[in-house]
Amino acid sequence: MSGPIALTVNGRRRRVDAPDAERLLDTLRWRLGLKGTKEGCRSGACGACTVLVGGRSTLSCLTLTHEVAGASVTTVEGIGREAVGRRVQAAFAREGAVQCGYCTPGFVVALTALLREPGPVASAERLLEDLGGNLCRCTGYAAIRRAVEAVRREVD
Amino acid sequence: MRTDAPAKVRGALQYGADLEAEGMLWGALVPSPVAHGRLVAIDAAAARAMTGVRAVVTGEDLDRLLPKGGGDPARRMFPSDELTYRHQPVAAVAADSLAAARAAAAAVRVTAQELSSVDGIEEIFPDWPGDEGRRSPHVVAHVHARRGDLEGAFASAEFVLSQIYRTSGVAQVALEPHVCLARVEGDRYYVRTSTQAPFAVRSDTAEILGVPESKVVVEGSWVGGGFGGKASALLEPYAVVLAAAAGRPVRLGLSYREEFLLGRSTLPAVVRIDSSVAGGTITGRRVRLLLDAGAMLPGRDFATGFAIGFLAGPYRIGAVELEGYAVRTHKPPFGAHRAPFAPQCAFVVESHMDAIARRAGIDPIDLRLAHAWQEGDETPLGQRVGPFGLRAALERAAKRRSEWRADGRGTGGIGVACGFWSTGTGAGGEVSVTLSRTGVRIVEGEREIGSGSVVRGLVAVVERLTGLPPAAVRLEYRATDAAPFDSGVFGSRTVGALGRAVETAVRTALATLAERAGVPEVGLVYEAKELRVRVRGRARPLATWLTAAERKDGGLTVRGRHYGRSGAFDAGRVLDGEFYAYTDFTASVALAQAAVDPETGAVRPERVAEFLDVGVALDPEMIRSQMEGGIAMGLGEALTEETLWAASGRLGNPGLLDYRVPTLGEIPPLETETIEGYRGAGPFGAKGVGEPPIIPVPGAIANAVLDATDAQVPELPMTPERVARALKPL
Repeated sequence: MSGPIALTVNGRRRRVDAPDAERLLDTLRWRLGLKGTKEGCRSGACGACTVLVGGRSTLSCLTLTHEVAGASVTTVEGIGREAVGRRVQAAFAREGAVQCGYCTPGFVVALTALLREPGPVASAERLLEDLGGNLCRCTGYAAIRRAVEAVRREVD
Repeated sequence: MRTDAPAKVRGALQYGADLEAEGMLWGALVPSPVAHGRLVAIDAAAARAMTGVRAVVTGEDLDRLLPKGGGDPARRMFPSDELTYRHQPVAAVAADSLAAARAAAAAVRVTAQELSSVDGIEEIFPDWPGDEGRRSPHVVAHVHARRGDLEGAFASAEFVLSQIYRTSGVAQVALEPHVCLARVEGDRYYVRTSTQAPFAVRSDTAEILGVPESKVVVEGSWVGGGFGGKASALLEPYAVVLAAAAGRPVRLGLSYREEFLLGRSTLPAVVRIDSSVAGGTITGRRVRLLLDAGAMLPGRDFATGFAIGFLAGPYRIGAVELEGYAVRTHKPPFGAHRAPFAPQCAFVVESHMDAIARRAGIDPIDLRLAHAWQEGDETPLGQRVGPFGLRAALERAAKRRSEWRADGRGTGGIGVACGFWSTGTGAGGEVSVTLSRTGVRIVEGEREIGSGSVVRGLVAVVERLTGLPPAAVRLEYRATDAAPFDSGVFGSRTVGALGRAVETAVRTALATLAERAGVPEVGLVYEAKELRVRVRGRARPLATWLTAAERKDGGLTVRGRHYGRSGAFDAGRVLDGEFYAYTDFTASVALAQAAVDPETGAVRPERVAEFLDVGVALDPEMIRSQMEGGIAMGLGEALTEETLWAASGRLGNPGLLDYRVPTLGEIPPLETETIEGYRGAGPFGAKGVGEPPIIPVPGAIANAVLDATDAQVPELPMTPERVARALKPL
């Protein structure tokens, strides 16, 4: 599997020469300069590194770049290219769901993925439950909850 | 809305973890393999020979790399002989990639002769040591103070309640691990770092390296959470010597595992508390603290002399004795963590208060109201209490408790607890403020750590003073060689101290303009993106009142400074050690409802309300955000958060899967209320709000558990196992 691989990142075709064992997180941050994706625990416990791979929420710290060869990856830098992502970003800013902001890209990407799932929009309770893998140490989640409820009302 | 929020939701801001430089190398630390031992040898030959390795630095290299071979011997970067905690850095490596640096660090062979380690304070002092403790080689600090006739109070009491409580170590868990980037230019060291206190990092780094402060330049970045853990130097000196050795910039960061293993945070404690009660009045209280200091106590007797003041509680008690020992163990050094040790103290005092209330047959809130400090009361050390909203907060909590009992929305027990804090406004700071055509510019060295105290707090001071909109105010951050000095973003002091400096600067500028205009006072207005001066009701261009030199400089620049003073206490009451006077008095009261599963012992918080004495609410939205965040972190300390220190200095849970911080679904509905009118030391009488919200939460949960089960859990965190044990004594 070694050698350069092709990826589509935020709508742009990119070729990267990543070693076999390189994590998608490191490829995005250090090869492609997309540092909006945050490095937290590097062990899948905090959610700060969440990106979309083929539209699905993915922990980029637990994903090898070679596993996603050819796939379409969306990071927080590209999430606002669609209306749902922009609404999520606006709600987080407006509702005070952002303090230090280090967990924010992960939450924004994960919530956008949930809201874009086909079918009726999930209930607020369901959305909050599905965001349980994203940790925030500043807000006590109260403002995040308000942002989730607000944006759900908007897109429903 | 916070001005930093739009960029943060787009992932557009540069945090410390995002820093990068041309030709940058990656650093890694080589850990001590033992908690306690003698360093025999470090063999770095294999590591040096590895591909991509550019530098390996041990203690022996410092003579070559630093002008004086290093600084303060008490804060040596690399131990030369005695190893004092597991994972203590003994060498450092720089390489072309992080993987290469980590591999090389692992290839450095460290030979140590292991010695028996002290793993806990109760190994040394299973019982209260009395005066003998002062002669123990394990004791690093002793504090002792008395007021009144304690023996008399205990002898004449209806009952004396004696209890022992234990608290665990907790970690800050900022999501962004510690990280910095250092480079050497000429004889100066440049450090960019994710920090709460660039000037403290500068002085720490200079002391540790043994160079003058002028040789070290520190510049902050956006910070992914601090909570006290980023308020002093940790990695910066290591990054500097690696950069000096490799001749290239070096990025040094901790892995998340290392955050737990060598980060500095709160460590375990044992508290003995005895109170005498007569006629419903607490007549005497004795508090005896044994605190785990780890390998080193930061800053004098901070952890004992400061913390022990919280252990008697914010209550009028005639006779009080406070005594504490800090005991050295083979763990990483004790460090600051959001209201350092105060939530643990409040858990002890407030659990004890409820136990007294039960025994005396008094309602818990009534007992607190009967003893709560008011302005003019005396602390145990004889300091006069300033304006203090504790009684008002308790009255609001009593009302809310009645409403909760009536509304039936919860099924669990209801507990209340008080917290007390003093803003760290004694630590000084300065800003530079420029009035220019485009607005008000604040130049300073602090960065926003997330609380909003910089991006909102400082701006809110200008808004309140001038009526200008936030858009008219701009913050400009500078490195320590260009920014006015400030102590740092810690101790809930930013708005209280740096905000006062902003206030002073703006007032000075307004007075200067008024004098030039020949009027008693002028105002500022912001129209069509232009700052204008209102003189006798008319807005005129700012330039009208500027000198030629100021016009050339682009505006009127003034310095504002604030060096606060603490109150005085009665030194005659101190028998030993160092105690601290308070700058102001902040009260926080928490009301919690929690259900307990009688089979498993699991505690489920159903709702928490908090009442915070803010002096004046400069920005209600930011205050609410601090209260909600503090309550959640307090729930973690109450129920799940605990560093599991085991034998031989090993940490059992160095990661987020095993050290459990609250997740979204675990936070119940939160209610927040502010209490105004009790002036603090900050601008317009504001009090710091970063730390007080966490303080009463573990105690309130403990008292909710007591109310639900008639059982007290004498230990933090109140894990299901400990609760179950309290419910069914073995």
